Amino acid sequence: MVKRSTASRKFLFFLLVVLIVGFSIFPFIQMLSISLKYPSEWGTPNLIPERLNFEAYKELLNIGQRAKHIPESVRNLLNETPDLTQEQRETILKKYTSTGDVFPFLRYFYNSFLLSFSAAFITVVFAIFGAYSFSRLRFPGRSIIQRGVLFVYMFGGILLLIPLYKMFVGIGWIRIPPGAFLSLLIIYIVQTLPVSLYMLGNYFRTIPFSIEEAAMIEGASRFGTVWRIIIPLSFAAIVTVFIYCFMIAWNEYLFASVFLKNFKELYTLPMGLKALFTSKNAIWDRIMAASVLTATPVIILFMSIQRNLSGSLTAGGVKE
Amino acid sequence: MKLLQLNTAEGLDLRQREILLGWSMVIPSVLIILSLILYPIMYNIYLSFFDVQPLAANTYIGLENHKNVVLDPGFWNALVTTIIYVVFTTLGTTMMGLFVALVMNQEFPLRSLARSLILFPYIAPVISVVFSWQFIFDPVNGIFMDITYERLGLFASRFNLIGSPSTAVWVAVVFSIWKNFPFSYLMILSRLQAIDHNLYEAAEMDGASGWQKFRFITLPEVYFVMGAIILLRMIWNFNKFEEVFLLTENVRVLSVYTYFKAFVGTMELGQGASLAVIQFLLLLGFILFYIKRVLKW
Repeated sequence: MVKRSTASRKFLFFLLVVLIVGFSIFPFIQMLSISLKYPSEWGTPNLIPERLNFEAYKELLNIGQRAKHIPESVRNLLNETPDLTQEQRETILKKYTSTGDVFPFLRYFYNSFLLSFSAAFITVVFAIFGAYSFSRLRFPGRSIIQRGVLFVYMFGGILLLIPLYKMFVGIGWIRIPPGAFLSLLIIYIVQTLPVSLYMLGNYFRTIPFSIEEAAMIEGASRFGTVWRIIIPLSFAAIVTVFIYCFMIAWNEYLFASVFLKNFKELYTLPMGLKALFTSKNAIWDRIMAASVLTATPVIILFMSIQRNLSGSLTAGGVKE
Repeated sequence: MKLLQLNTAEGLDLRQREILLGWSMVIPSVLIILSLILYPIMYNIYLSFFDVQPLAANTYIGLENHKNVVLDPGFWNALVTTIIYVVFTTLGTTMMGLFVALVMNQEFPLRSLARSLILFPYIAPVISVVFSWQFIFDPVNGIFMDITYERLGLFASRFNLIGSPSTAVWVAVVFSIWKNFPFSYLMILSRLQAIDHNLYEAAEMDGASGWQKFRFITLPEVYFVMGAIILLRMIWNFNKFEEVFLLTENVRVLSVYTYFKAFVGTMELGQGASLAVIQFLLLLGFILFYIKRVLKW
């Protein structure tokens, strides 16, 4: 058998790896590149900008916006007429710093964060007790619960969208902003609960029962064991599930688009970005900068839990 | 009163107390799932028989919604688009996952970095990557037209690939493969790592070629996990909304079609409910067929 020389084999293999990695991360490089380019360079395929342009980021993060929008003539006018009262100055300045057409990125970021964090937190609390119950205790009905949790995998969001919409319209929550926000929070809890129960249940089964037994012999109650033994022992898994839920809520668009439609100040990031793209502000550098800023927290979170997450992913604990 | 309760709890034997504790810990989750997942599904079936107005009362109209849905050519178009989308994304994702897993299972420098980087598409929020993909296919600035039209001269003019439904569906397919192959890759890789190395050594002693080793050792070992991935992928992609809708509104798969019917324009909520039921029944039938015929469980 004639073998190709190892050097050329190695080179071909290396090329293959580069192609796979390149395919995976090219869109990310593309968005980073455009977010830093001046508009005149958008048409050129080079990925590295000739001159760096941070305007898009400054605008989204609201850095140094105040002075920029005031035309030179107005600034001169203000400087040359010292007899204007402070109040008059403020009114004139306000005209030029109106943020009406600027994309309120930080606002959307805050909304998304508040929703995702609360939903993930509440879900994880329910899931710890629920999962402990059906993975550790014997009681009639537990196998039905276990299987029911898996069954929920089959339901797409679209199947629940219309009935949930009618239900929340029925109790009048959709007409008022806090109600709409709260409905969405409840929906995110519902959407993340089954997968959390499933993932945590799988994890709790791997903790040896003898550890718990020892604590109970020492006189700890069952709740005490959960609090002092199970939670500390599975802390990494709990954090992983928390982040997983956080990511599901952070990415959600379907329900948000229906429930928050009329309340612009409550938009989550996906809603806001989509609206930005279809509005007159649709400028590639801002869109790309917003994309980068939306992806970054998730990627950082993921990197911090990578080992655990890949473990739980391969255990089958995922839902899309 | 409190003392009495305590006494009754004391009176229970250990087994009964375990039952009580088990139910009390799981009951909040069960109530949430019952009232906000199972009840809405029943309610959805109920709504599909009514003329549903967003704010007014419902009126019973029997099978009118189902009839309107089935008689609408838009529904059949959406069904065909969905089947194309599901078949090609499922095959593409699984094949690519297998291929990448085989590559990443080899030893090479910087392997752990490469393994982290190829997970990016899967973990990044959909909304944060769709615009980059739209830019790549943008007729004026995008790199795709730059390469295929300017350099290779494959097309007569620049055009918007995402603009028309017939070409946009393929962009959506490629996008979905890009987004989801890391999941298949992870599952297959972890199975590959569990294969006993002695098997390969024994095969080499018997003079097996690389292809034979793959065909007779690797493939049988990953067969089951691939069957499971294909099933999950089909279920998920059949219901997929965000990955299609946010990339392009031109590709009307069933979920997107239902969304437009129910929440855009005249808000035909009753027809939307009927569509959701039909979509669910189609999926259910399909899963049963797949499990019986393909996985032979």
